[in-house]
Amino acid sequence: MKREHSHRETSSVKVDSSSMTANKEEAGGFDELLVVLGYKVRSSDMADVAHKLEQLEMVLDDGISHLSDDTVHYNPSDLSGWVDSLLFDLNPTCDQVKPDQDSEYELSAIPGSAAYPPGKRTRTGSDSPTTTTTTRSMVVLDSQETGVRLVHALLACAEAVQQNNLKLADVLVKHVGLLASSQAGAMRKVATYFAEGLARRIYRIYPHDDVGLSSFSDTLQIHFYESCPYLKFAHFTANQAILESFATAEKVHVIDLGLNQGLQWPALIQALALRPGGPPDFRLTGIGSSLTGQSIQEVGWKLGQLANAVGVNFEFKSIVLNSLSDLKPEMLEIRTGSESIAVNSVFELHRLLAHPGSIDNILFTIKSIKPDIITVVEQEADHNGSVFLDRFTESLHYYSSLFDSLEGPPSQDRVMSELYLGRQILNLVACEGEDRVERHETLVQWRNRFSMGGFKPVNIGSYAYKQASMLLALYAGADGYKVEEHEGCLLLGWQTRPLIATSAWRLNRVG
Amino acid sequence: MAGSDQVNLIESKTVVPLNTWVLISNFKLAYNLLRRPDGTFNRHLAEFLDRKVPANANPVNGVFSFDVIMDRQTNLLSRVYRPAYAGGDPPSFTDLQKPVDGEVVPVIVFFHGGSFVHSSANSAIYDTLCRRLVGLCGSVVVSVNYRRAPENRYPCAYDDGWTALNWVNSRSWLQSKKDSKVHIFLAGDSSGGNIAHNVAVRAVESGIDVLGNILLNPMFGGTERTESETRLDGKYFVTVRDRDWYWRAFLPEGEEREHPACSPFGPRSKSLEGLSFPKSLVVVAGLDLIQDWQLKYAEGLKSAGQEVKLVYLEQATIGFYLLPNNNHFHTVMEEIAAFVNAE
Repeated sequence: MKREHSHRETSSVKVDSSSMTANKEEAGGFDELLVVLGYKVRSSDMADVAHKLEQLEMVLDDGISHLSDDTVHYNPSDLSGWVDSLLFDLNPTCDQVKPDQDSEYELSAIPGSAAYPPGKRTRTGSDSPTTTTTTRSMVVLDSQETGVRLVHALLACAEAVQQNNLKLADVLVKHVGLLASSQAGAMRKVATYFAEGLARRIYRIYPHDDVGLSSFSDTLQIHFYESCPYLKFAHFTANQAILESFATAEKVHVIDLGLNQGLQWPALIQALALRPGGPPDFRLTGIGSSLTGQSIQEVGWKLGQLANAVGVNFEFKSIVLNSLSDLKPEMLEIRTGSESIAVNSVFELHRLLAHPGSIDNILFTIKSIKPDIITVVEQEADHNGSVFLDRFTESLHYYSSLFDSLEGPPSQDRVMSELYLGRQILNLVACEGEDRVERHETLVQWRNRFSMGGFKPVNIGSYAYKQASMLLALYAGADGYKVEEHEGCLLLGWQTRPLIATSAWRLNRVG
Repeated sequence: MAGSDQVNLIESKTVVPLNTWVLISNFKLAYNLLRRPDGTFNRHLAEFLDRKVPANANPVNGVFSFDVIMDRQTNLLSRVYRPAYAGGDPPSFTDLQKPVDGEVVPVIVFFHGGSFVHSSANSAIYDTLCRRLVGLCGSVVVSVNYRRAPENRYPCAYDDGWTALNWVNSRSWLQSKKDSKVHIFLAGDSSGGNIAHNVAVRAVESGIDVLGNILLNPMFGGTERTESETRLDGKYFVTVRDRDWYWRAFLPEGEEREHPACSPFGPRSKSLEGLSFPKSLVVVAGLDLIQDWQLKYAEGLKSAGQEVKLVYLEQATIGFYLLPNNNHFHTVMEEIAAFVNAE
């Protein structure tokens, strides 16, 4: 067999050197061609990764599938890390596995039952190069003529508003109304909300966050929780990360930045109750706004009842604030050194972007209490750009996907969920300044913010992914929901459009 | 055995660039983890490990993409890739399905590979490949997210391909100005090549015009063990055993490899003689262990009086077209461009 040996050598050397010299600054030393395909391998590590792949081949043969059932995988984009952990799994005494250079901390393998993922080597992510190009992910859900004309009219109206041509905008918004009435399904509902948002903006009848409506807001959220899997996914994946982080801790403290109805916590309490070796003492600090002050206590009391029923020592504290920005470390009464701490935020952080400095305040507070893990769930969308028309367009597509996923047999849950989402739309479209709180940003943007804020990613692994996928099949049944892994984070989407993202963080203790 | 394994590993490493070797070895390892001996598949882990990318209506390197739902019942999704519009502005929603602008605009219906089991239309490796095809051929590319085995066996993938073909054929915005018809090519690698063939057969039987088939390392097989299978077993990332597993996963339960889906010119298949089957471009990698079946396919087409161009790349392994870092890649891209534009 003719071996083009020298040719190959030249070409591979050429690839290596070109990616090393030309692209080192841009791609952080990663092989440019593999980055495009979703894998981050430093050119300088390529030979080492290849060597480890060879080692794995020698140790394994065709019958290795049983491994995948026990092993938890993390961040497949980090090929080097992935290969290392496979080698470690096969041969824990093997000292060829190089330690994660980025972290001083390694969660050691915890012997455990199937109830808990064997918290092994939760790899902290390496620095990912920030992408400056934005992605507009569009799924054409309805290619009917009327659907297209409706979107066209909405965008034209938004453009008129952007240009402050209110006379034209007025005409167009009425036109939208007409078109919407002849439309069916999700598109009709979405269009109606966006049209209302535009109308409010044109006529300056801004929606208010009234006192009386806050408990209504909580009620709506419960319906949203029931009718579709988004909140369940958020709670579930965050809980998995928290559980893994708590591992065998004897005292644990969860700080929920937005307690609402406490829907996330029964499952965590039950999981803690079932922990081999017995449950830890569980302390929950629930934070809420002054508008829901009374009901926070009630939520805490109910959770206490549940905890008692399953034999978990439970302590509850409520903190009532006007804004999360006002949260001070002293308020949390941390018992330094004796408790494992998790800070949890589901759809809360983006609201702070409405007021300059607020996000920095909360991140500072979080840092000062030195939590073991911070779980964050946010809408995966770019709804906080400076140009109104861009925000409008982005959110129109986002909520179209969301509403499309809700389509099905009519139910009260569904109607209320649509109202719940509708209020977000109105806020996004009609409000400005500090009133506009639905300032969703993408995972990439949040990643930047957390990195700059002194935090490091904690990878969420294949165990949580699998459980989340199975959960979706149970509750949702539809093929449309998809879970994706993206560099240690999990995203839930409808069709190919990611809609919410769960990520986990901890303090960057280096420097 | 260790000794000869060592030789095997070193051999494959000498014929591809290092990063290619790492990429394909990674797939090989991952796929070994996913296939179970009892024929079931670890789909959750597969989806977790697969690197996916979203569609992007913002043009990147002159190409933008968006996803479409072709069939709500089967949840058939496809990704459409188009050349960026003059001026380079990102298309608005209403521009996505703007009529193609040209006397002759080829539309390539693409079926990704993965041995009927792996990958998706939004897998990074295939998103990248499809983007390349757009610029290369000046075409629109429609990448079909067909249902996969073992959850969905034959003929699901073919049915989805057929649905996609009809969808494409009926889009007025994909019609070329010259004759107000959609100029369709079918293309695919590995199992995708197999699907392209089978969809073309159905097209011919139903009177839909397909202008050409592009088969990259198409996945075919048969009962007996051919010389190439024996000679190359395990040497270049692929084993006969894993090929057997995939056929068992795709073919109806109890069926053997002489089934026409596996063996289109085998004992049980229908003759293509006399049919106006599209011209075919068949690319065969010289280090692919199923090449004898692929060569047999090309021969079969010829014997049936069909037009076929065979491109045989002696030193190429599977997956050579995933990275633009080798000569085979460029050779094949040129062949594809010539084939599509020779209309």
